Parts: sequence; C-alpha cells; structure tokens
Amino acid sequence: MCALDLARRFAAGATMWCVAPLWAEHARHVAVEFVHPVIVGKRALPAVSMDAPEPIGALRAIATRGDVLVLIGDATTRGASPLLLRCSTWGLTTVWIGAGERPPAGAADHVLWVDGVAAGAARHNGSVVRLYHLLWELTHVCFEHSGLMPPPPVAHGGQACTTCADDARPAEVISVDRHGSASVRTAAGVETVDTTIIAPVDVGDLVLVHAGTAIALVREDPS
Amino acid sequence: MSDFLYPFLKGEAADVDVLLDDLATSARAKAADSCQLQSDTVDRERTRLEAQAGAMAEHFDQGARLFTFGNGGSSTDATSIAALFSSPPWGTPLPAHALVADSAVLTALGNDVGFDLVFSRQLIAYAATGDIAVGLSTSGNSRNLLFAFAEARTRRMLTIGFAGYDGGDMGRSDDVQHCFVVASDSVHRIQEAHGALAFALWSAVQDHLASFGAERV
Repeated sequence: MCALDLARRFAAGATMWCVAPLWAEHARHVAVEFVHPVIVGKRALPAVSMDAPEPIGALRAIATRGDVLVLIGDATTRGASPLLLRCSTWGLTTVWIGAGERPPAGAADHVLWVDGVAAGAARHNGSVVRLYHLLWELTHVCFEHSGLMPPPPVAHGGQACTTCADDARPAEVISVDRHGSASVRTAAGVETVDTTIIAPVDVGDLVLVHAGTAIALVREDPS
Repeated sequence: MSDFLYPFLKGEAADVDVLLDDLATSARAKAADSCQLQSDTVDRERTRLEAQAGAMAEHFDQGARLFTFGNGGSSTDATSIAALFSSPPWGTPLPAHALVADSAVLTALGNDVGFDLVFSRQLIAYAATGDIAVGLSTSGNSRNLLFAFAEARTRRMLTIGFAGYDGGDMGRSDDVQHCFVVASDSVHRIQEAHGALAFALWSAVQDHLASFGAERV
C-alpha cells in the first residue's frame, strides 16, 4: 500500500520530491501538505516541490536513493516516462497521481488514479486534491504506528551466485572512459562497469548491469 | 495522536494486513464523505453560483481580469482557479492571474511592508475598476485576504470569497460581495469542496458567456 511505503521511506529519512510539469499547483499543494501539516501536532515531513523546467536534471543532482518521487499529472504528461524510469534507476520509490485515462501498468511503483472523470475536470474540481489529502492522512497513521515501520525481513535461501542469478539492474551512465568502462549510478550507489559488449555509451544513457558488466542499452520512449 | 482521525486504532498491531484493511475501509468512507459534502455544498449554493457566475460573465464581457489569492493549500487552489479560467480544458480562455505566482513579488512585499499586505499591494499595482477578485481561506479569517478584499472594494471590483467553518470574518465582511461557505471544520474537506464550487462557478461562467454570444448572433 502506497501510504505504508511512504511512511517507511519517511521513517528512514527520505525526502519527497513533488513534480507536476503541467499541473504545477498540485506539486506545490502536495509539498505544503507534508511539510506544513494543517492538523496541529502532526510532524512536518521533508517534501519539496520541484518547479524546474527540466526536472530530471534538477533531481539528478539532489535526489538520493531511498527518496520518493511524486508525479502529479494525467497520462499524457510529457517527460513522465523518462522521469519515472530515471528516478527508479536511482533508487527512488515512484508515485504517480492523476486522472483520466490510465498510464500503462507498471509506469510507477504506485499509481493513484481518479477514474471516470475527465483529467481536465479532475485537475480543478477537487478530485485529485482529495486523493492526495487521503494519502497524507493514511501516511501519518502508518508513520505513527511504530510497529509497522520496519519493513518485513527479506527471506534469504542462502547466498546466490551473482553470475548465475538472473539479475540485471538498471543504471544511468555518469561518466565514460576510453578503455571500455563507465561509472554508473544504480539504486545501490555508484559503481564501475565494463561496457565493451554493448554499443559505445554516452553520459545519461540507461543500461542494464549484471555482474559488473553493462549487458544492454535501454531504449527509451522519449515521451 | 491519530486518535481523532482513526479512533478504532489502539496501540500497535502485529497484523499489518488487518490494519491496512481497516485503513482502506476508513479511507473509502472519508472519500465518500468528501464527495457528499461537495455535492451538498454545490446544491445548496446553486442559485448563488448562478448569480455570481452571471455577474462574473458580465464583467468579463466588459474586459475584466480575474485575480485570485489564498494562503498555503488555498494558494494552490487559487492558482488552480486562475489556470482553469485562463487555460480551460474546454470553452473560452479568460484573463486570470494568481497573486501567489511570483515568489519574488511575494517575498519583497512580505519583507518590506508585511505579509498582511502581500495581496492588497498587488491589487493596487495590477487591478482596475471592474476587475474581479476571488480569495480562498478555509478559516475565513486570513488577514491578508481581508486587506485584499477591502482594497478590491475601494476599486469597485467584483469580490467573491470561498471559506469554511462558519465563514469567519470573510463571511461577515461587507467587502466580500458573496462568500461561498463550506459547512465543515476539516481543512481538507473544505479545500476539496472549494474545488467543486470553483469548477461549478467556472462552468456556469462559460454557459453565461456562450448565451451572450448566442444573443448577439
């Protein structure tokens, strides 16, 4: 559940970044709800509205793994897909709040949607606002329930061999050297990978990494 | 701490799933309450919505511009209303500007003359006779809105307010020609109902303007 996930992230020190390229007022509303609660006694949580014309660049510098991205907008929001993909690559939890026709399944870790109302109406008539008001309330109930805060322990069946494990993690290229290796940013941090088996890579490219090797270039949908 | 929000929760629970089910049930009930408050408020205010929309349409027809303002969440609702009028999802775009749009202007005024005057000073600079002022405050008591409405009336602007609780000072002020009051004491529910009211108001303005157009054909 989204609220529980948010509460756990906040408990672990996350910042919530709010982005709404076409519905700017909603990014600010979400941020102010969390950072300056309307109910006296509720804790202020770090939530920031990112108004930059190029949110990916702005977030690349300041967002860290474990943070939360909240995108507010309809399914046609330009730049939504690359933004969500990159934030996920960097280890952020992603939330997409919107209305109207739904985005493709899996577009974000959590999709909170107003169905059955035209996006243009939902943006202005209080429907979208209601959705994130409830998210705020539920997050605080979970957050204050300390018994829920640590995530359940991951079951380990013994050490897995990285080479044999079917593991391919997304990564963003930070820098490239001429010896066939690159420095990349993943959800686990920054690492150096071998790039010789894929096409030449550029800074900003997304790749899949397995056992210290970039094994594939991720082709992105520019919208 | 969460007692008044979710009174059924007591202490800590080991069973996360049961708790999450309870929260989901409660959230659905609150969403239903919000929808009910929205529709009850719009129904109760329907006659006044039509009257204010008619007045707004006449002002727009004479070249009026709309200025919106509010604090915190209400500032974003003010921004939303300005965007709804100026970049509508359908219908006719109309001149509208939110007085919270520029942080340089807000911080300069707030720092130099005080936050009480951040909206009234902007109206002095920007607004003309016959323009429209819309201010939103869940309590109805925000001082910078009351100052703004007073300034707006001296300029013979059309003044419309959105408030909650019992309307507060805005509901009692002669400077607010009509104040839509949401009968609730929940800031969140009031804001959601403000959205419903504002959308209904905008829609009615569009209808009035369309009828002007039809009459002139």
